[in-house]
Amino acid sequence: MTRSSTDTPGEPKDTRYRVACVGYTNAWPLTRHLDPARFDVFGSVPSEAARKLKTGEADIGLIPVASLFSDGDYRVVPGLAIGCDGDVASVLLVGETPIEEWDSIALDGASRTSVVLAQILLRGPLAEKLGGRELRVFGVDPGTPAFHAQGKTGAVVIGDAARNLPERLTTRIDLGRVWKEWTGLPFVFAVWAGRPDLDPDAIAGLRESAALGLPERQLAPEADRTYLTEHIRYALDDRALMGLRRFAALGKQAGFFTHEDVSLYGPPRTRLRVDLDTLLSKGADGERLTYEEGVRLATQGRVEDLGNAAHLRRMALHPGKEVTYIISRNINYTNVCVTACKFCAFYRPKNHAEAYLLSKDQISVKMDELVKVGGIETLIQGGLNLALGIEYYEDLFRWMKAGWPGVALHALSPEEVFHIMSVSKLTMDQTLDRLIDAGMDSIPGGGAEVLVDSVRKRIAPLKCTSDEWLEVMRQGHKRGLRSSATMMFGMGETPAHRVEHLLRLRDLQDEHGGFTAFICWTFVPDNTYITPANNTAADYLRVNAVARLMLDNFDNLQASWVTQGPGVAQASLYMGCNDFGSVMLEENVVSAAGSTWSMTIADVEHNIRTAGFVPVRRNMRYEHLDVRGIVTPPSARV
Amino acid sequence: MIELGSTTRRAIDAAGLGPIREKLEAGVRLSVEDGVQLFNTPEVAAVGALANRVREQRWGDLTYFNRNLHVNATNVCEASCIFCSFARLKTGDPESYTMSLDQAVGRVRALREEFITEVHIVNGLNPDLPWEYYTDLLRGIKAERPDIHIKGFTAVEIHYFAEKYGKSYEQVLTELVEAGLGSLPGGGAEIFHPRARKKLCHDKVDGDGWLEVHRVAHRLGLRSNCTMLFGSIETIEERVDHLVRLRALQDETGGFQTFIPLRFHNENNRLRRLPEPTGYDSLRTMAVSRLMLDNIDHIKAYWIMLGIKLAQVSLAFGVDDLDGTVREERIYHMAGAKTPQELTRTELVQLIRDAGRVPVERDTLYRIVAEA
Repeated sequence: MTRSSTDTPGEPKDTRYRVACVGYTNAWPLTRHLDPARFDVFGSVPSEAARKLKTGEADIGLIPVASLFSDGDYRVVPGLAIGCDGDVASVLLVGETPIEEWDSIALDGASRTSVVLAQILLRGPLAEKLGGRELRVFGVDPGTPAFHAQGKTGAVVIGDAARNLPERLTTRIDLGRVWKEWTGLPFVFAVWAGRPDLDPDAIAGLRESAALGLPERQLAPEADRTYLTEHIRYALDDRALMGLRRFAALGKQAGFFTHEDVSLYGPPRTRLRVDLDTLLSKGADGERLTYEEGVRLATQGRVEDLGNAAHLRRMALHPGKEVTYIISRNINYTNVCVTACKFCAFYRPKNHAEAYLLSKDQISVKMDELVKVGGIETLIQGGLNLALGIEYYEDLFRWMKAGWPGVALHALSPEEVFHIMSVSKLTMDQTLDRLIDAGMDSIPGGGAEVLVDSVRKRIAPLKCTSDEWLEVMRQGHKRGLRSSATMMFGMGETPAHRVEHLLRLRDLQDEHGGFTAFICWTFVPDNTYITPANNTAADYLRVNAVARLMLDNFDNLQASWVTQGPGVAQASLYMGCNDFGSVMLEENVVSAAGSTWSMTIADVEHNIRTAGFVPVRRNMRYEHLDVRGIVTPPSARV
Repeated sequence: MIELGSTTRRAIDAAGLGPIREKLEAGVRLSVEDGVQLFNTPEVAAVGALANRVREQRWGDLTYFNRNLHVNATNVCEASCIFCSFARLKTGDPESYTMSLDQAVGRVRALREEFITEVHIVNGLNPDLPWEYYTDLLRGIKAERPDIHIKGFTAVEIHYFAEKYGKSYEQVLTELVEAGLGSLPGGGAEIFHPRARKKLCHDKVDGDGWLEVHRVAHRLGLRSNCTMLFGSIETIEERVDHLVRLRALQDETGGFQTFIPLRFHNENNRLRRLPEPTGYDSLRTMAVSRLMLDNIDHIKAYWIMLGIKLAQVSLAFGVDDLDGTVREERIYHMAGAKTPQELTRTELVQLIRDAGRVPVERDTLYRIVAEA
């Protein structure tokens, strides 16, 4: 950390970064927006900026590159530089006579870089023009070489002076162009440099300034605009670095420089990443991570690190090549709903023209279709319809079990269980016992959204609380029902909220082990009233991987191709997921919100197979099935 | 030097990629066999992590995009590439078109108020047009927008011009540059290997010819891009062969700026029975390209081709440049489309930020126009 500490008794210390920079026109796009609250900027000629950095009078310098290779141990800020790729227009060899006639040359003492460059080029590509003569070289005061260019004396002129030359100087050789024609590379004149321990915050500030300054080149007066946008190149990219390194090597060879190393400041995240390693490793080994550790992973982990750690954990749990899926059908028996969740595009009020309640005939057709394609599960979910009490569900389940005994009823989210309790005035115990008796096999994990009450109140004010949601699951698990667990995220909640959600699920799983799988997906915003945040595919892969690492007591993670598309879902198979969800004959809820992916059985198997796995069908309990639909014991799988 | 975390390294080594990781860490160039192994390694996240390391070493979090206009002045094309849905064989065929110069320049004129830095021109091999059509097209665009960079004509077109108008590659290119051409796009590379190329596009310039056009262009000081059409009938070995040929020319000239893997599409062409490559294949192809092409600066993904979600994810698989139509303002959104026709600049910038990257708007030659 090298901030300034000008001690003036009685006044607060100036803790700003001291910045020495060149005052040339080509520097302002980088420097003019340096935040005065954080940076104390003084402009000068190049050699002076280099001197200030060397003596410690400055923390950061926009310095000529020659200083890098002779002054000391500097690091270079990646990405930004002042350079050119061909004509630079502001570093020229000039003279009254053609170069072939020169016997001496005046060099600007203010710029070591252009002086070295000129001498390298005079001995290299320009040597031919001099016919083997060595020019007498003499240094003159900054800004004055043009005046010395007379008769047989040429001069190297730099900066703004080179762009306003007297007419008598008819020989004008652009050194940027000579360099480019000779090496094929860009040339770098100046870079941001500092000592190795410079605060990353300072580097961020330099970048912010460039971000604001570079676009303003378009607003510069015509003469400057062309110069700043077409001649000067501000990128320190690979080619520029190659040019810089070539220059360093040539300069060292010619004895101008003491070394030729260019070391860049690393990306600021590198340090953090190594710190996170212990946590990633714990997660990969199935060790329990705390809330704080989870939040650190969720906020600081990079997708590739989280994903690979999650994959190690997934492979430890499921060492084979199988990826499972199930053939299932959603039966959304009604869309009439009283909760009016802001993120939902599916529900309709009772008397709305699009409100519906499916008849048994309609359901019958759907069930027959499902069985015909080998379906063994139906996901029964609907709105909270005040007209439907427990008798409706008991009758529906018994009727379905009698007609299609091979189809598991993955039915009713906790929200709907609460709804039945209140419509029929029953306790939770009574409700669950009666539903199970009627044929309910499992509770789907929908409606969990984010199990943090402050979040739930904002997005779904009328839904049950987190405790209530978990209690339904707890009572179900106690009775031997299995259920899935979900999280829908991307509605403005924080990473900490998501981790809290995962821990609530993990705590409950410790009690009875009733959850079969965890499935997360991103909020799909069309036709709803919530502004999304962090609901992109990159967020999905990160959150999913964090879930795999946090949920050490969950066996399965299901990929959500319905919301992410098949490609991202394939990638998730190497970032924590081991299940490809279901081939759904019908899905109404997410598609109402604009998610339009659909897949056939063949599509699902194709995606699993082309991702390098073997597709295996499963049942609702995540048991693998053979071709006849019979459960294969775990021993037969390896 | 960006260090891989020990857990990520464990996952990479568990995937059998330890020796390749060590080579990359030591700065040793990957061999053809390494390339084949990378393609055949199922653990795409492990391959991706290696590619990401290379990408971050080059660019940190910087992610480039630019704003350009595509002009396809004619779809009349003598070549009969079996993967193409765009070309029509003859003038007058149903759905064939050839813009008048005024129409083509008008596309640019229509965007007079828009901030764009590049016009991208790619056409069919049209037997009915005079040479001046192309030079006049360039001059017309330059007259309309002198500030704009024109990236135009694939190597296939340059080769066709040379044959049809009896000029050398050098002559063709020099005359186009005089008329305003700034750089060459990377199209038409498809797959260089003769076996696959014969099947895909038997009657257009062969792999050596494609490379020769770029060699000459680089010698004349033009920068160019390069591509590979993946996921049709080529083998993994042919993909690696393709990458290695590009790498060899780049060693020689250093003129390629960007490599763009192009995903095969099966609609409206003669390969419609062939399944399209999956997202998984796209991700691994981008990652392996980043690792094999150690001398090419950028790997670019078209979000139009991949879909927005996969394109965003690709930023962790070696890609540092996102391309596709970008507009300052969206006029309307076509309902029901899986991917929108265009993204606003704000949307694209947000997408890049959400992936934890730093968006940078560039021009054709990768000069920074603005850090977004």
